[in-house]
Amino acid sequence: MTKFIPVVLTTFLLLGISPALQSSKVFPFSYKIEELENGLKVISIPLNNPNIISYYSIVRSGSRNEVEAGKSGFAHFFEHIMFKGTKNVPRKAYEDFLTRLGAGTNGYTTDDYTCYFVVFAGRENLEEVVKTEADRFINLYYDEEMIKTEAPVIEGEYYASVSSPSRRLSELLRDTAFEKHSYKHTTLGYLKDILDMPNQFEYSQLYKNRFYAPDNIILLVAGDFDHDQLMAYIKKYYSGWKKSNYTLVTPKEPPQTKAKRAHFDFPSKTSPMLAIAFHGPAYSEEKIDKAALDLLAKTSFSSSSPLYQKLVIEEQKCLALSASFSDHRDPYLLVFNATLKDEKDLSYVEEEIFKELERLKNEPVPEDVLADVKSNQKYSFADELGTTDGVAGTLAGYINLTTDPETVNKLFDLYEKVTPGDIQEMAKKYFNKTNSTVATLTGGKIK
Amino acid sequence: MRNNIHWHLGILVLIMTFVAFSCAKLNPKKLSTELLPVEGNPLVSFRILLNIGSANDPPGKEGLCQLTLSMLANGGSKSLTFKEIQKKFYPMAASVGLAVDKEMSVFTGTIHVDNLEKYYAIFKDMLLDPGFRQEDFNRIKTRQLNFVEKNLVSNMDEQFGKEILNLIMYEGHPYGHNEAGTVESLKSLTLDDIKAFCKEHFVQRNIFIGIAGGYPAEFPPKVVKDFSALPDGKTPKLRLPEQRRPSGLEIVIAEKKTPATAISIGFPVSISKADPDYLSLWIAVSHFGEHRQHLSLLFQKIREERGQNYGDYAYADHFIQGRDKFPAQNCCRQQQYFSIWIRPLANSNRHFVLRQALRELKKLVEEGIPKDRFEITRTYLLNYTKLYAQTLEERLGWQIDSHYYGYQDFLAEVQKRLLTITHEDVNRAIKKYLNFENLYIAMITDDAKSLKEALVANAPSPITYANPNMPKEVLEEDRVIQIFPLDVKTEKVRIAPATDFFQKPGIPKIE
Repeated sequence: MTKFIPVVLTTFLLLGISPALQSSKVFPFSYKIEELENGLKVISIPLNNPNIISYYSIVRSGSRNEVEAGKSGFAHFFEHIMFKGTKNVPRKAYEDFLTRLGAGTNGYTTDDYTCYFVVFAGRENLEEVVKTEADRFINLYYDEEMIKTEAPVIEGEYYASVSSPSRRLSELLRDTAFEKHSYKHTTLGYLKDILDMPNQFEYSQLYKNRFYAPDNIILLVAGDFDHDQLMAYIKKYYSGWKKSNYTLVTPKEPPQTKAKRAHFDFPSKTSPMLAIAFHGPAYSEEKIDKAALDLLAKTSFSSSSPLYQKLVIEEQKCLALSASFSDHRDPYLLVFNATLKDEKDLSYVEEEIFKELERLKNEPVPEDVLADVKSNQKYSFADELGTTDGVAGTLAGYINLTTDPETVNKLFDLYEKVTPGDIQEMAKKYFNKTNSTVATLTGGKIK
Repeated sequence: MRNNIHWHLGILVLIMTFVAFSCAKLNPKKLSTELLPVEGNPLVSFRILLNIGSANDPPGKEGLCQLTLSMLANGGSKSLTFKEIQKKFYPMAASVGLAVDKEMSVFTGTIHVDNLEKYYAIFKDMLLDPGFRQEDFNRIKTRQLNFVEKNLVSNMDEQFGKEILNLIMYEGHPYGHNEAGTVESLKSLTLDDIKAFCKEHFVQRNIFIGIAGGYPAEFPPKVVKDFSALPDGKTPKLRLPEQRRPSGLEIVIAEKKTPATAISIGFPVSISKADPDYLSLWIAVSHFGEHRQHLSLLFQKIREERGQNYGDYAYADHFIQGRDKFPAQNCCRQQQYFSIWIRPLANSNRHFVLRQALRELKKLVEEGIPKDRFEITRTYLLNYTKLYAQTLEERLGWQIDSHYYGYQDFLAEVQKRLLTITHEDVNRAIKKYLNFENLYIAMITDDAKSLKEALVANAPSPITYANPNMPKEVLEEDRVIQIFPLDVKTEKVRIAPATDFFQKPGIPKIE
């Protein structure tokens, strides 16, 4: 028996984002930018998806800002502290508010920024969200005891991560590749610094005063709301907040002058891993270097690339092969990662990767391959924009870099300009052995 | 060409007319379909659901279902090698996803409507006309074996703990092995096994086709026609043995060198989303341990008050995290279980936290949920579930699950029915479905012997804090928790080296 069941979907289930279209742009939504007198920047992206709003507070401080010895992991630790409440709205009341709202909420910390988000249904709740978020940023209250209680949670988070070999490899790689810059450590920080966090009450206040100030924070709001109404709320609740005027100086990383190598013996049995890193440029929407290297990474290490097909699909020496070059405010690492089937192939895979990098110096990438990569980049990016949270979450990383959403369109315009010749030139400029760090990880040998 | 791409991407975010109707065509004799047209939406999402899963693996061939379906999702078709497929998919940023659970498996894919024809032609051939090449088989089997043999045991203790709980809970049951299989079974599987499994189970009446988005009207009939070429047939619904209930505290400890202990606790429950009591129990368990939310009482007591670990949660039924922290869909089961997930914590505090979690469970069962917590949790669920189905894939997934559980629209039903549930309903559901005395407990830790001794002896397990000024009420409660009696019998505690797990089905033999 065939039965048709029409189902009237309730409004909240309906996805529908209807931007005022600027169709030639990769980031096609209209947005407005306003800045309060205290330096707080607001980016609003009204969308026609019924009833859902994503409210992001982007603090331009991450593990990059942990420039003092012994303070690694502090940006992440402070993210935890930010959930402790205020005298007006103590932690419990703040949590109850979010609970009643049924909000999807959390925070995360990256190398360059810390982000807090509240995703909720109902534009009628917008004022309360603005009011409550403003209160916790401006009036955050915690004491020394709260710091001591929260610190072991970070220890727990560290423990939860230690069973991951890729995390251990990443820790080792960064620690080896960087000498001075704070990118040397991961966002979780060194264990010795995590263990000392209970004693860092005073530093936490210094950290707060430096970085949790309106001139270091951007509000990004996307979804179903009226811009003027949003701004009225923001002005009402954030205007009394004072600037910090603090300028961070990050240590300059000296040029690497000789090849480096490091190894990690993972306690349990695990697939061998290899990471080869080169110091590369910082994010830029203007200089071709980063954009060309992004495309190089994809032409040569994505699933359709000849090297991937050889090592993963045909010879099956590798279980995974990839390249990553995440955008950073300061010069960061372009990393080639491989997970192998067998430890005995580590040298072979390393040689093959270096051979491929040499080849890139001598042979231009075929035009059609480059066109495929550019197409993939755009479709992949566009795929992220299907929900309000997709829009806000994707944009948050870019906004941190330049404070301007337009940077996405500028970046993709720059990608369009990259030629095979540019890629070849960048290969020659960056892929020198003296600029390389090789980290390996094998498991199961420690009793 | 370049301009074209720009134009396509512009379209991608064009106005999406809101869908008014979904249309399910449930057909016991042929293919069933679920269509969610969203006119103007530039994306099209697929969910090709199969009513089979790892519980259909024949004994000795554990992992066969996943390996077979992976051959479809990650292998070549007859006309194209996997290498050629990857090359064609790449400019479209396309892929085929696969998730295998015990009784359901699902292929997923989302594509821009302008690439729909190109994508679907490949997708269809992958599923309907697979190449079954030996080199694809070798690659996919190695990857699956690697997951079972190395990653699961060594690299992902949180997942490992949940899998051990599954092993204890379903010993000798069709659910009782990991979807990826065991080392021994995987090594024995051949390409012929794959072909035979596919022939037997990849048949019309096992399949539910879900399509959502801005597809042209003529597209779904074409898909149905293509899939109708599959042989007719249906895998009979599994007749599962009754779930074995734990007798007292049944503990399995996987021992490995680790600074942190992972804990999972659970027991079977005779309830699912189809049951009228489900929402009442859901409120109770959401209050007790909502997944990765401050609302969770366990989170509050263990993490927020005491800083023991990163989080502590509980689930009224089988839960897999999907997008963000929301539940994944299409992993429905006939039989369900309640569980508690304690994230890794310092080994020195493992006994204390186990006691604390079980004491909280006892309080929940004996005292029920306070009235104010009932109110706030109900409000929370009313609002939070509004965020559950934001993408096309999620909406399709929930619609398909709705049919499985006998609803037209489960999430719409939640909105209506939550309002009618009373505090008494919730406390009645707690008494009816939950207990604190008969539990399965899985732990991954170092020095398992001393843990076992301490558990059996009911030795006090005081803990210390970095904070010398912990709140008085917390310390007072700690004094109660640290001697909270657990009735652990020595014969009910099994210890095995972590590396012995997943070699064969079931719990490894004790050393």
